[in-house]
Amino acid sequence: MNPRPVSSESLGYRAGQAFAAYQEGDHQRLGDLVELLTPVLWHTARAQGASGATAEDAIQTAWLRLVDSADRILDPFAVLAWLVITVKRETWRLVRGERREIDVEEVPEAPAMALGPEQVSILGERQKALWRHVAALPARCQELLRVVAFADRPDYAAIAQSLGMPVGSIGPTRGRCLQKLRTAIATDPTWEA
Amino acid sequence: MTTHTDPIDEVDLANLAALHELLARVDPVPADLAERSRFALTVHALHAEVAELTQAEMVATRSAKDATRTESITFTSGTVSLMVTTRVGDDGRTARIDGWVTRGGAVVDVVTADLTRSVTADEHGRFVVDGLPRGWVHFLVRVDPGEPDARPVITPSVEL
Repeated sequence: MNPRPVSSESLGYRAGQAFAAYQEGDHQRLGDLVELLTPVLWHTARAQGASGATAEDAIQTAWLRLVDSADRILDPFAVLAWLVITVKRETWRLVRGERREIDVEEVPEAPAMALGPEQVSILGERQKALWRHVAALPARCQELLRVVAFADRPDYAAIAQSLGMPVGSIGPTRGRCLQKLRTAIATDPTWEA
Repeated sequence: MTTHTDPIDEVDLANLAALHELLARVDPVPADLAERSRFALTVHALHAEVAELTQAEMVATRSAKDATRTESITFTSGTVSLMVTTRVGDDGRTARIDGWVTRGGAVVDVVTADLTRSVTADEHGRFVVDGLPRGWVHFLVRVDPGEPDARPVITPSVEL
């Protein structure tokens, strides 16, 4: 199963605390969990190439599945990983218009991120440079970095596994995706630290 | 020279923080997504009937000192209709709600992010809740408070 987050300062740990309280009957804490995890789940869905409406549907369905499955999630600190997997599966189910359940192993590769000219135009020069480097990464790396950018370091390994990445693709070591981004930035003469 | 087997360091975290900032700018999370998810969970938990927002209008009223904004909103479901008029208090931070529900004696929960205020409408269906924090609010109406199995009616969230 996914490694549980160890640091008390990570998003996954705070989510686990809120979910544990919910499981013990403090239903108000479910609202805290929604507040905490909505950004990372939004980017999980959007990283699959989902439209905004599809991403929202997938996220809301994942929340309903969570409360229906709450008794069966034995480790509350696995809740972040559980939701990331569920949102990814739901997104693909909606994207493909299929009713059947699909395994994470079957989920196709996420498409590369694309930005329209209006989106690029609101970026600063430094952000435009970063965008060029990110867009040049393999699609799998784009998906992984996009999602972990909305979590904390102790959560990276569990998120990577939830997305179907091999063990060691990120956290505690850098992994190839972060290394590629780092090298690209380091060799960019226009990038100023 | 760094390699992919090194531990994640401050440079990597700075790169991810920059990516976070970039994505938050080009693809922001819809402002009300968390609120709508919470609402879906509440409806699910309560097996509630969802009322529709059928009318909303801004009414500018003039108090002794200056103009205040008042909003009048109507929600309708198969069981009950609810009309609320909201007014922001003089301090700008709290709001007052004057409500009318089509069933006298109904219990109305006014649910904000942090608190729930429960009131019983009078025999004509009128109720007042004052000193509410501004922000998102929804209403939960129990038309037969003595009937535990009756489905409550829930309204969409509106911003005070």
